[in-house]
Amino acid sequence: MSNMMSGGGGGGGGGGRDGGRDGGRRSKFGRFGARRREVLPEEPLDYKNITYLSKFVSANGRIQSRKRTGFSGQNQRMLAEAIKRARLVGLMPFVGRM
Amino acid sequence: MKLQRTRTYECMCLLDNREVRKGWQPLKDAVTGMFTKHGAKILSSRRWDERRLAYPIRGQHRGTYLLVYCAMDTQAVAAVRRDMQFNESIMRSLFIECAEVPQTAYEPEAAFDVNAIPSDDAPPVVAPEPVAEPEPVAETPTES
Repeated sequence: MSNMMSGGGGGGGGGGRDGGRDGGRRSKFGRFGARRREVLPEEPLDYKNITYLSKFVSANGRIQSRKRTGFSGQNQRMLAEAIKRARLVGLMPFVGRM
Repeated sequence: MKLQRTRTYECMCLLDNREVRKGWQPLKDAVTGMFTKHGAKILSSRRWDERRLAYPIRGQHRGTYLLVYCAMDTQAVAAVRRDMQFNESIMRSLFIECAEVPQTAYEPEAAFDVNAIPSDDAPPVVAPEPVAEPEPVAETPTES
């Protein structure tokens, strides 16, 4: 009990500064310390390739997060851009499944 | 001083099937004429696909896609885009700058019979059936 209260003293500084269970510091690695392997796209992230892009869209039409796709930041941005382009020209729906 | 820079662009145009049925080649020439009017050089223009749309656009459930690769001045893109927005036969257009034209763009275009385009008889939108949620079990107060 004394450990839990130690970080809260002195105007909210210390580990509980940003809130959350781990004090605002989220590990980039997995729970057991292993680095998560980056997933590379199997096909080009083009807005015309909707069969591949639709794998990264939920049933409601939402783009999956990077945590689920496993892509790097650059590839995740390319994925999001391609899906948004496909939506614009009517190849993919904004909401719902195709 | 106006800066002149020529870039290669990929333009995907979604065409209204009602206009496509009147004639494919005249419509294709009209669209490519919008590019050449502003000094663009057409590298490739071919029909990409005719398919069902993911959502209705201007009351249409199907559309024909025209994929154009062109080299044009960067200053002329806005003018071409504006012309496309005024054109009734173009429902959507997308401009993307591309480094090079893929080899598939130079392949000869397959024969396109406008009379073979399926009619736009979209089935009525069926509302999803509401999922029956289990009724919460009313807790009966136990009298002790």
